[in-house]
Amino acid sequence: MSKLRTTGKIFIIILLVFILSGCMDQTEVDQLAYVVAIGLGKSEEDDNLVKITYIFANPESGTQAGGSGGDEPPQETISFSATDFITSRSLANAVIAKQVTYDLLRLIIVSEDFAKDEDFIRWIYDATKAMEIRRDIRLLVSQEEPSVFVQNNQPKLDTRPHQYFELMFNRGLNTGTVPPSKLNRFFRITEADANLFLSIYATTELNDDTKENKDPDNIAAGEFEFEGETNNTQFAGSAVFKEGIMIDTLTIEETRLAFLLSNVLQQPDEILTSLPDPFTDEHYLTVRIRRESNVDLKMNLDKTKPSILATIPISIEVMTNHGMTDFTDSEKIRQTLEKSFEDTLTEKFDELIKKTQEKYSTEPFGWSLVARKEFLTIPEWESFDWMKTYPNMEIHTDVRVDLEKFGRQTELPSLDEMRD
Amino acid sequence: MFNIIQKMKPKTRTQHGNKMGKKKLAQDVNPNLQKNLDTLKVVYSYPDNTDFLIRELFISGLNKKAAILFISTITDFKLIDEHIIAPLLNNKDENIPIHNIITIQSIENKHTIQDTMKDINSGNAALFIEGEKQAYSVNVANFEGRGIENPENETVVKGPKESFNEKAFTNISLIRKRLKNENLVIENSVVSQRSNNVVYTLYIKDITSEKLLENVRERLNTLDVDAIQNLSLLEQYIEERKYSLFPTVLYTERPDRAVSFLEDGYIVLLMDNSPDSIVLPATFWSFFHTSEDHYLRFMYGNFTRLLRIFALFITIFTSSIYISVVTFHIEMIPPDLLLAIAASREKVPFPAVIEVLLMEVAFELIREAGLRVPSPIGPTIGIVGALILGQAAVEANIVSPIVVIVVALSGLSSFAVGDISMNFTIRILRFGFILAASVFGIYGMTAVFTLGLFYMISLKSFGVPYLSPLTPKYKSSGDTVFRRVLQHETFRPGYVKPKDITKR
Repeated sequence: MSKLRTTGKIFIIILLVFILSGCMDQTEVDQLAYVVAIGLGKSEEDDNLVKITYIFANPESGTQAGGSGGDEPPQETISFSATDFITSRSLANAVIAKQVTYDLLRLIIVSEDFAKDEDFIRWIYDATKAMEIRRDIRLLVSQEEPSVFVQNNQPKLDTRPHQYFELMFNRGLNTGTVPPSKLNRFFRITEADANLFLSIYATTELNDDTKENKDPDNIAAGEFEFEGETNNTQFAGSAVFKEGIMIDTLTIEETRLAFLLSNVLQQPDEILTSLPDPFTDEHYLTVRIRRESNVDLKMNLDKTKPSILATIPISIEVMTNHGMTDFTDSEKIRQTLEKSFEDTLTEKFDELIKKTQEKYSTEPFGWSLVARKEFLTIPEWESFDWMKTYPNMEIHTDVRVDLEKFGRQTELPSLDEMRD
Repeated sequence: MFNIIQKMKPKTRTQHGNKMGKKKLAQDVNPNLQKNLDTLKVVYSYPDNTDFLIRELFISGLNKKAAILFISTITDFKLIDEHIIAPLLNNKDENIPIHNIITIQSIENKHTIQDTMKDINSGNAALFIEGEKQAYSVNVANFEGRGIENPENETVVKGPKESFNEKAFTNISLIRKRLKNENLVIENSVVSQRSNNVVYTLYIKDITSEKLLENVRERLNTLDVDAIQNLSLLEQYIEERKYSLFPTVLYTERPDRAVSFLEDGYIVLLMDNSPDSIVLPATFWSFFHTSEDHYLRFMYGNFTRLLRIFALFITIFTSSIYISVVTFHIEMIPPDLLLAIAASREKVPFPAVIEVLLMEVAFELIREAGLRVPSPIGPTIGIVGALILGQAAVEANIVSPIVVIVVALSGLSSFAVGDISMNFTIRILRFGFILAASVFGIYGMTAVFTLGLFYMISLKSFGVPYLSPLTPKYKSSGDTVFRRVLQHETFRPGYVKPKDITKR
């Protein structure tokens, strides 16, 4: 009898656990609306409101599973004003049928207008409060309002939004056209208060005032001219944030140079660009640029005359040769070539560094992290004040070019003999 | 607790009944032949009992009446005819002992009627002779049974393909064939009162621990039941925790496996009517291993072990991981997969738990029913069950396709653990994990897993910890998840306390 009673008690206790715990966290995957991107823009009516834009992924699009999804569109978008993007979750339910979740959130789109507002930082820090928002999502600055950006952004082939953005960013990182722009890095740099943060810069609208015959590398989003039938969205170049406020944009070339100067940013796989041919005036050489190892930074940070010597080891593969000079034959020709590349690159690096010193008064390369190690205590570092001292620093770059292959077939026919 | 012990104790009725029987039959063999015959005729309900036969004859030479009693269905007719009846009838000698007339290997003298009966029951012929105060029990037993066949549950690709059959003597012979050693001892003991079932205890005298042996003997001798037909039933009488989910007695149908355990100092039990043997004690690893692990070369054997441990975890965890990830930890899933799952679940009316349980139960049903289906229609049912049910359930939006994959994977993997008892264990465990996952997600699964480990460590089989030699640590050849190269397996498992721990 007593045995029965104990069993009964144990059973009831177990039952209580089930009842009281109540599956509180439980949510079924099919009852959620997955937000892939949040857009933040200035609200026209009130300073205390922001215009929230959501891109919802439609799980049923593009799946071949049994009982297919029919012709439902791949995404759903909605824009409205709210006090922040946490309360907007429940507000959205006035229109959206399912519970809004940020589990699948991949990026936050901010309008250039809003990013340049000094109040922007107040809203973006909401992302640190929400449980579901991961720190590895990306920050994107769009020239236009996010609501417009989202409406215009209609990818034709990779229609599923999360996939489209993921592919776009990965490709951009591989070619060095856009910076990584992770939210976590934004917070870190803003709080460290020494560097610039580079964010992805994008637009869906073409700039009309594009100058003719511009160097194809020296453009930012909106300046790339193309024809054909595809999505109008361009991801190119970066938006520069200083102390949580956007101050400027960088072109593709500048973004790439920043990649090459930085030990913090992950290096792109292939930077394909063209550099002047030292042997002919009218032709360019297409090269693939890779940095061989980390930039070697020699810092001398005494208060009076701080200086930095950056040694940048670069390996270059020559892909085309329109001047048809034979590089393989003579050691001397190769040395001239190397020298020419070094000069061109040094010039470009110096130009960018000068721009950061004069225009931004700090750098986006993460050099302050290296500089910190030169100081014994944090107060010493703080009194050094990187942002104040950087503009006056004497910075030298030393580019060491290492030539690699000259394409698959190195030899080219001699033009003189052929045209004979 | 005491209640249970007391409940088990009072068996006075049967003991009393036996005493009565003994009193009646424990009488000496009477010199008067007719009296003996009368007694036995009553006992065996002669002539109602049709296969009990009495052949009366006159031994010429000795000039004595005699009678041969036997049960025709369990004796060899030809032997009786040629080696008992014929020599007796043809005898011319006047002064010759019966032992010298009968030409059969084994003859014993029995002085009581009861002993004689026991022998008749086990297939001997009893020879009563007028004027003699003893009966001759001649071994002519011939029980019908099948021959040695291939193992059905523990099949191997490489290695011997003999299995035990229902005759204990054949089984002992199969073991002796592999272990030609005078130290192999075969003890027998009667474990049931009414059916007189005999259990053969096999061990190697100079290896097996005396204490372990005593433990087994004691458990066999304290059994107090009318009948234990075979080892499957005996297993349940001698195991320690009868309600436990985990088996603690290993059951194998392979003589080679039994022998390898004997050589390591384990004890093997055999019985008539069981095409198997019982190996004592058993650890978790003995259920996890198969004999082929050692027959295959080092790399191949360990590869199958790796697959098996993998399959074990897949069986236990896939369904529950699916449930917990889909209901509690959505952020763990890669976006593409998450959207695919969400899309396929969109039209399913049930929550993930019900969905999975539905398919798991369906799978178990197919499995159980498939076992009972008569073999000619087996394949048809298989197709209906697997193909139609799975396909149709998905198309009818009752379950999502991914659940079919999850359940099929876990169901299929469960077959990788060959031992039938362990197989049931993990199949039932799976449901425990599913429930835990549906209530608490991964957290619940971890809790159940931890509790399960605690329980497994607390288990003992005949005094041997269940997870040894892994934990607690014992000196052994380290044959647990993986095995070593044969030359490095130099120790017998320390946990069975063998008298000689090194193998040479």
